Amino acid sequence: MFGLLGPNGSGKTSTIRMMIGITMPDSGTVSLFGKPFTRESLKRVGYLPEERGLYKKMKVMDQLVFMGELRGLDPAVAGRRAHDWCERMQILEAIDKKTEELSKGMQQKIQFIATLLHDPELVIMDEPFSGLDPVNATLLQDTLIELKKAGKAILFSTHRMDQVEKLCDAICLIDRGHPVLQGGMREVKSRYERNQLLMNFEGDNSFLQHPAIASYKNYGGQAEIQLKPGANAQELLHEAIPKATITKFELVEPSLEEIFIRTVGEKVDA
Amino acid sequence: MRDIWLIAKREYLEQIRGKAFKVTTILIPVIFIAIFGVIALAGKNSGVGKHIAVATADPSLAARIRDLLIADKDAKMTVDVVAPATDANRMELLTKVDQKQIDGFLWLEAPAGGQVKATFASRSSGDFATEGRVTSAVNHALVEQRLAARGIPSAEVESLTERLEIDTVQVKNGKETASNAMNTFWAAYVMAFLLSFTVVMYGMNVGRSVIQEKTSRIFEVMLSVVRPEDMLAGKLIGIGAVGLTQLAIWGGAGALFAGSAMASRIMAGGIKLEVSAAQMVLFCLYFVLGYALYSTLFAGLASTCDTEQELQQYAPLAAVPIWLSFGMITFIVSNPNSVWSVAISMFPPCAPITMFLRMASQFPPTWQIALSLGLMALSVYIILWLSSRIYRVGILMYGKRATLPEMLRWLRYS
Repeated sequence: MFGLLGPNGSGKTSTIRMMIGITMPDSGTVSLFGKPFTRESLKRVGYLPEERGLYKKMKVMDQLVFMGELRGLDPAVAGRRAHDWCERMQILEAIDKKTEELSKGMQQKIQFIATLLHDPELVIMDEPFSGLDPVNATLLQDTLIELKKAGKAILFSTHRMDQVEKLCDAICLIDRGHPVLQGGMREVKSRYERNQLLMNFEGDNSFLQHPAIASYKNYGGQAEIQLKPGANAQELLHEAIPKATITKFELVEPSLEEIFIRTVGEKVDA
Repeated sequence: MRDIWLIAKREYLEQIRGKAFKVTTILIPVIFIAIFGVIALAGKNSGVGKHIAVATADPSLAARIRDLLIADKDAKMTVDVVAPATDANRMELLTKVDQKQIDGFLWLEAPAGGQVKATFASRSSGDFATEGRVTSAVNHALVEQRLAARGIPSAEVESLTERLEIDTVQVKNGKETASNAMNTFWAAYVMAFLLSFTVVMYGMNVGRSVIQEKTSRIFEVMLSVVRPEDMLAGKLIGIGAVGLTQLAIWGGAGALFAGSAMASRIMAGGIKLEVSAAQMVLFCLYFVLGYALYSTLFAGLASTCDTEQELQQYAPLAAVPIWLSFGMITFIVSNPNSVWSVAISMFPPCAPITMFLRMASQFPPTWQIALSLGLMALSVYIILWLSSRIYRVGILMYGKRATLPEMLRWLRYS
């Protein structure tokens, strides 16, 4: 699972549109499944755009079969799969209704089904979580995890760092059309120092004046400490042990959100 | 190709199942029949049942005019005679007209050997039917009187002044064929009328359908699977097929109606429509090409708009050619082969209507029909080229309506 990140207007949607041939790149090439892009290979891709819609006057079943047929499915197969998916998404009762009669949440489910109906090997979703209620967001998240287990490649763009952190194996952060940070999730995080420290203690707090500490917040027995770059946390621990009883000493890795803000912020400053 | 077919099928089924299709299929012929019925009835009833007076110094002339007017059974006229009439009578008649006791009066001064002067005074100045009847009766009575004055016996006067009705025949391929001038006129006229609104109605329909897909944000989903050109082609074919289906339903219903006993009773002596096979084929060709022209134009324009209201601003592009065509109706029908008539029937936006208006009076030369169809096909090709380029970019643009410079820039993409 791959996360495409970036601030607003950084080019996420433009990048995705080029991947699936909606727009043509002015320079560079697009490869799909290891080969130069062809429209034929799009039948193996499921795409859910940010601006997504359905034919309002069409019945749900007709709509799903139509979408399936366009992606090369036999109408009977498409119908069977649509039925299974609707059952799985618990919207079986909506199958004979017109789209315009459905709630927004139901329409979102149908959009997911339409994207996944032809069992694509690569799923591309642009801001899939935007506009979803918490129930549907969880449902989508679970579905994506299942797809990942089934060996599908998934690429999605989002602003929501918590989801990326939970779901993605690799990320690419782009800014103004250029990649500024990319790689495996662990590897990217490991590039950033663990220099935030959480401590719980009882006793003398004079160790908080140690030169390795850049700043701290003391909540009386609980401290959030920001270490100076290159500082050794172990030295601080040595200093603290004789003075206080340490019940918690945790070096926290930076959250993706912090990395995001730091990376994009640096670029803006530069 | 499969994608185009699937999209066309979807579009066709959605429209055929839609309420609008059912309503227009039934309502438009009803409106049509109502309009033509009103025109026919109005034509029949104009100048019927009028009450007029004939005032002149000569009682026998006045009586003769009255007899001639009453003899026309269709007119159902009531005629009073005021003879010999004086100036006081004239004042009295004027008051009567003013008080709506009578519809009008004829004031005839025919001094022996002097200049005859006839005035028809009425409230309405546009009652041409009554005017015509009165004029004809006065002239007829005066000619009879003059012939009688020269000693011609009254029995001969009748045969000398007998009116002659002119038979019309049409020359086709150097042969005279039985007169059906009115029937072919009405057929071509109805076809021109039908073309004028079906072509534009379905052209606008494509535009609206593009807007709907744009507002429902369906485009990007579709574009990840099909090419924009295929989407446009599928839409044009699907909606065009809907138009042909509707015309076929009307045609079939019309033929059934014409063949029924009821029709022959209603139509007896009235308007008959005669449609030749060539006209049928040309009608379909002009519909398809006219529809293709307007629909490609509106598909391109619609892709640059966000709402139907914005699209409405382009409606004059369709309305002006129709006004122009129908504005020239009298000119074209009476001068079907003049330079202007030929020129406007070559002008693609007006060709479907004006060509059928020309057919109303005379079937145009084959080469002219071929040329006008060729020009239409060429302009469809050019508009399609332009529209598909604008469409490709426009459907993904949201927000404000695109300006002309923007559209020109889109043309240069790809």
